[in-house]
Amino acid sequence: MKGIVKRFPGVVANDHVDFELQAGEVHGLLGENGAGKTTLMNVLYGILRPEEGEIYIRDEKVDIGSPREAINLGIGMVHQNFKLVEPHTVLENILLGLKEPAFILNLKDAGDKVLEISKRYELPIDPGARIWQLSMGERQRVEILKALYRGANILVLDEPTSVLTPPETKELFRFIAQMAREGRSVVFITHKLDEVMAASDRVTVLRAGRNVDTLHREQLDKTKLASMMVGREVLFTLRKSPVVPGERVLELNQVTVMGDKGFPAVKNLTLDIRKGEILGVAGIAGNGQRELTEAITGMRPILSGEVRLYGKEIHSESISRRIEEGIAYIPEDRVGVAAPQGLTVAQDLVLRRYREKPFSSGVFLNQHKIDNNADTLIKEFNIMVSGKDAPARTLSGGNLQKLILARELSGKPALIVAVYPTRGLDVGATEYVRSLLLKQREAGAALLMVSEDLDEILSLSDRIAVMYGGEIVGTFPASEANVEEIGLMMGGSLRKT
Amino acid sequence: MLAHTVQAGTPLLLGTVGEIYAERSGVLNLGVEGMMAMGALTAFMTSFYTGNIGLALALAMAAGALLSLVHGFLSITMRANQIVSGLAITILGLGLSGFLGKPMIGMTAPHLTSFPIPILAEIPILGPIFFSQDILVYVSILAAAVLWFVLFKTRLGLNARSVGENPAMADSLGLNVYLIRYVCVLLGGVMAGLAGAYLSLLYTPLWIEGMTAGKGWIVIALTIFATWNPLRALLGAYLFGGVIALQFRLQAIGIGTQAPQFLLMLPYLTTIVALVLISLEAVRRRIGVPAALGLPYVRGES
Amino acid sequence: MTIAVPVVSLVLGFLSAAPLFLAVGVNPILAYRQVLGVFLNVDGLTESFTRGIPLLLASVGLCLAFKMNFWNIGAEGQLFMGAFAATGMVFLLPDSSAFVLLGSMIIAGFIFGGLFGMIPGYLKARLETNEVLTTLMLNFVAILWVDYLVYGPWRDPEGFGFPLTPMFPPNARLPWIPGTRIHAGLIVGLVCAGLVYVFLARTKWGYELKVTGESRLAAKYAGIDYLKLTLLVMFISGGLAGLAGMGLVSGIVLRLRHGISPGYGFSAIIIGWLARLNPLAVVPVSILFGGLLVAGDALQIGLGLAFATSQVFQALILLFVVGAEVLTRYKVALTWE
Repeated sequence: MKGIVKRFPGVVANDHVDFELQAGEVHGLLGENGAGKTTLMNVLYGILRPEEGEIYIRDEKVDIGSPREAINLGIGMVHQNFKLVEPHTVLENILLGLKEPAFILNLKDAGDKVLEISKRYELPIDPGARIWQLSMGERQRVEILKALYRGANILVLDEPTSVLTPPETKELFRFIAQMAREGRSVVFITHKLDEVMAASDRVTVLRAGRNVDTLHREQLDKTKLASMMVGREVLFTLRKSPVVPGERVLELNQVTVMGDKGFPAVKNLTLDIRKGEILGVAGIAGNGQRELTEAITGMRPILSGEVRLYGKEIHSESISRRIEEGIAYIPEDRVGVAAPQGLTVAQDLVLRRYREKPFSSGVFLNQHKIDNNADTLIKEFNIMVSGKDAPARTLSGGNLQKLILARELSGKPALIVAVYPTRGLDVGATEYVRSLLLKQREAGAALLMVSEDLDEILSLSDRIAVMYGGEIVGTFPASEANVEEIGLMMGGSLRKT
Repeated sequence: MLAHTVQAGTPLLLGTVGEIYAERSGVLNLGVEGMMAMGALTAFMTSFYTGNIGLALALAMAAGALLSLVHGFLSITMRANQIVSGLAITILGLGLSGFLGKPMIGMTAPHLTSFPIPILAEIPILGPIFFSQDILVYVSILAAAVLWFVLFKTRLGLNARSVGENPAMADSLGLNVYLIRYVCVLLGGVMAGLAGAYLSLLYTPLWIEGMTAGKGWIVIALTIFATWNPLRALLGAYLFGGVIALQFRLQAIGIGTQAPQFLLMLPYLTTIVALVLISLEAVRRRIGVPAALGLPYVRGES
Repeated sequence: MTIAVPVVSLVLGFLSAAPLFLAVGVNPILAYRQVLGVFLNVDGLTESFTRGIPLLLASVGLCLAFKMNFWNIGAEGQLFMGAFAATGMVFLLPDSSAFVLLGSMIIAGFIFGGLFGMIPGYLKARLETNEVLTTLMLNFVAILWVDYLVYGPWRDPEGFGFPLTPMFPPNARLPWIPGTRIHAGLIVGLVCAGLVYVFLARTKWGYELKVTGESRLAAKYAGIDYLKLTLLVMFISGGLAGLAGMGLVSGIVLRLRHGISPGYGFSAIIIGWLARLNPLAVVPVSILFGGLLVAGDALQIGLGLAFATSQVFQALILLFVVGAEVLTRYKVALTWE
C-alpha cells in the first residue's frame, strides 16, 4: 500500500501511509487508538475508499471497492466486533454471502470442507453449533474459518487477543505461525507490545495517522516500540496551581465489573481519588475504562467489590441518588446519551438536574428557572447557539461538549467522571474544557479523567493510573511520569503498582 | 369436526407462512387483515362474474400482492413507521372490501369443491379429515413444508433470515437487503390474499361484510406462537383452527355460553405467554424475535 | 409548513377516493357533496363532535405513550375494558343518582382501562417484551371478554337474543351539553386534552417522557426510572382509552354490545400520528374523523354505499399523509446537509 490517505470530517486518519507485506510474513501493526491502524486495514479490505494512494497485490495495481472484491483478491479480515448472526449456525454464517452453493444449501459438503479446514489448522469447531452458544474465542475461530473458507492468503486480524484467554491467545499465535509457514501472510493489529514482540517478523508502528517506522524482528525492543507508539517527548507544562488534596472522595476496592462480551471488563480494581485531585486514567480504549466509569456512575452494576463515596457504600444506589450526592458524569457518547439531540438546549441543560429544587417543585417543572439557567449557562460557558430553544442537534461538537460540561459542572459536584472530554474538539474548545476541569479541581472537586491523549493526562493529572486488561497496571504521581514507561504499561508490558 | 378444524386452520396457515417470511426479513406487516379482506373480495367477485375459480385465486393473490407492495414501499423504501403503514393497509383493505363488496352482500358464487385424493381419502378417520378436502388445504400444507425447507435449507432462506437479524451485516456481505425484504413482504401479501380467497370461496357460503372476522390478527398471533417457523405454524394453525371449530360446535349444540369466548381467547393469551417466554434472556437467543423486526434499514447507520 | 403538508395530503387523500366511487357506479360529485354536507349543516357538525369524542380521548392517551416510544396498539382493548367497567357500574348501582353513577362509571372506566394498559407496560419495562405484539394481542382478549358478557350474563332478556345489554337507565347516560345534542363526554375529552398537554409541557414526567423517547440510555443517564415512568404513562394512556369506552356506552350507544367499537382504538393511532402526537392538534383531527364516520352513515343512507366508506377515506388520507411525511423528511434531510 503506497501513500494511502484517508480523511474523515475533521481528521486525517491515514496520512500518506506506506505499508508493505511480504508472503509468509507475520506483520504486526502497532499503535494507539486513533493511530489509523484499523482505518488502514479497512481500506485494504474494501470497506473504505482512500482519497489518495495505491494498492498493489503481488505487484499488480488493484482497486478494492468492496469487501467482496477484497475477498476475491484473497484478503480476509477478522474485525474486533464479530460480524456473526447469533441465531444462525456456524455453517450458516460461513456460507452467508457466498455465491455457491446457489440454491439448496448443501450443508454436508460445506460442512465437510469446514471440518477439513478446521482440522488442518487445528481450530476445533462444530459446524452445527449456533453462534450464541459459542464463547468469544470460538466465535473468533468461526470468523477465521470464514476467511479461510473463502481462500484468504492475506489474513488481517484486528485486536484479536482482546477477547481471548491466555491459552487461547497461545493457540492463536500457533495458528498464525502455521499460516506463515504455508506462505500466507498475516497482519495483526494490536496495542500489546508483548504479543507483537513475540509473534511478528516485522512490526509497523503508526501514530497519529502516520507510519512512524517498520522494524524487523531483530531490531525489536520494547522500550523503543513503546516510545514510537506513544511518541511524546516530555512536553507537559504544569499550568496548574498546587492544590493540597483533601479527604478521600471516591474509593474503589477490588471492584469487578462484567463487560458486554461475557467476561469481566474490570478485574479487582482498587483506586482512590481525593478532593482537589485529578486522577488521569490512561490506556488504550477497550481495556475496561468505559466499564469502570459506568460502574462508578451507576450505569452498570458491579459484580463484587466496594464503591465508596466519602466512605459510604454506593454500589447499590440508583443513578438519580448518585446525581444527588454530587457525582457528575461526562460520558463518551455525547449525542446519544449525554445530550439527546431532539431536546432543546435549555432542556438538555437540566437533563440530570431537573429534579432539583429550583427546576421543579413537586410535579411541575419551573420553566422560568430552567430558562434562566439556560441563559446563564449559555453566557457563562460561551455556548454558541441560536437560542436556548434551539434543538441540541444544531450545536457543533465543541459547543455540545460545552453544554454538557456547563450542566455537569454547575451543580458544584463532589466527583466528576469525565471520559474522553476533549475528543474531537478543536484547539480552542480543548483548551477551554481543560481549564474548566482545572478550575473544578481548585474548587475542591475530585476528578476521574479517562483520556487517550497523553498530553492531556500528563498536563492535567495530579496522579496517573494506567489501565490494561481491566486492571490498573501502574499508579504514580504525575511528577514521576515517564512517557516510555507509560507506553510500556499501556502495551501491557510493565507493572508498577 | 376435525375436518372443520382443518378448514378453519387453512386460511390461518396460508396467511401465517407468508407473514413468517415478511417478519423473518425484518418487516412487521400489520396489514394482513386488510390483505385477506381484499383477497376474499377479489376472489369472490371474480368467481361471481367469471365462474373461474383458478382465476379467482390468482387475482386474489394479486390483490394481496398489490396491497403488500404499498406497505413494502412505505416501510422499506420510504422507511416510514411500519406499524402505521400496516394499520393503514388493514383499514384500507377492510374499508375497500366493505365498500366494493356492498352490492354483493348475501350473494353466492361458485365455490371451491372438495377434491378427494384417490386412495388416501379412503383411509379410515384420517382420510376424510385430511384427504377429502379442497385443493387449497393440500396447497397450504405443501406450502408450509416447501417454505419451511426454503427458509432453513436454502440460500434464499438463509439470506432472508440474515436480513432480518442483522441487515447491516448482510448488506456488507453483499446481500441486497431491500430486494430481499420486498420479496418477503410480497410473499406475505400473496399468501394473505390466498387466505382471504379461501375464506370467501369455501369457508362461508355467501358474501357478508366482515368476512375476515379478525383472522388476520390471529395470523399475526400465530406467527409469533409458531416462533417464525412454518412447520410449527402448521401445528399452530390447526390448533387455533381447532379452537375455532370447537367453539362453533359448542355454540351449535347450545352448550353454556361460558366456553366460546374463553376458548377463543386462548390463541391470544398463549401468544402473550409465548412472547413473555421469548423475552427471557435464555430463550431469546434460541428462538427470538428477528432482531431487526420493525426497524427500517438505512445503509450507513450501524 | 408543518400544517400545510398534512392538510394538503388530507385533501388529496380525500379526493383520491373519486375513482372508487366511479367503480361502484356512483357519481363522485354527489358523494363529495354528501360528505361536505355533513360538515356544513348543524346536525352533521354536532354529530361529528359526538362521534369524535371517543376518538379524541383515546388519541390523547396515545400521544403520551407514543411520545416515549411505547407503541401502544392496545387502545381498542383498553377502550373495551373501560366500556365493560362502566357498564359494570350500571349493574352494580342502578339506583344511584346520576351524579354518583356517572361519576363511578368515569372512575371505573379509567381505572380498568389503565390497569389493562399497565400489563404490557410492565412486561416491557421488566422483560423487554415487545409491546407492539403484547398490546395487539390483549385487544382481542378484551373484546372477547366483552363478548362473553354480552352474549351471556349481561344479555338483555328482551333483546331478541342479540348480544347486547339492556338500555342504560337515564341516570347512566351522559347528559347533553345544553343547547346541543353532544354529550358531556366532549367536555371531559377537551379537559383531558388540555391536561395531557400540560402534563407533557410542564411536568417532570412529561420531561422524562421526552427524554425516554429520545433514547433510553440517555434516560438512564438522567436518572429516570423506566419502570415507574412506563407504568404511569400506560396507566394514563389505557385509562383515557377506557374513558373513551365509557363515553361510548354512556353517551352514544347507551348500552354495551358486541362490537361496541368498530376500531376506534386503531383509528386513534392514526389520529395521534396525524396530529404529530400533539394533544391539542388531536382535537380537530378527531372531530374530522368523527365527521368521516358521519359521512359514512350519510353515504350509506343517501347513496347506498357501504358504511366502510369512512374507513376507506381514513386509510387513503393516512397513506397520503405518510407518503407526504416521508417526502418532507427527505427534503428536510437534504436541505439540512
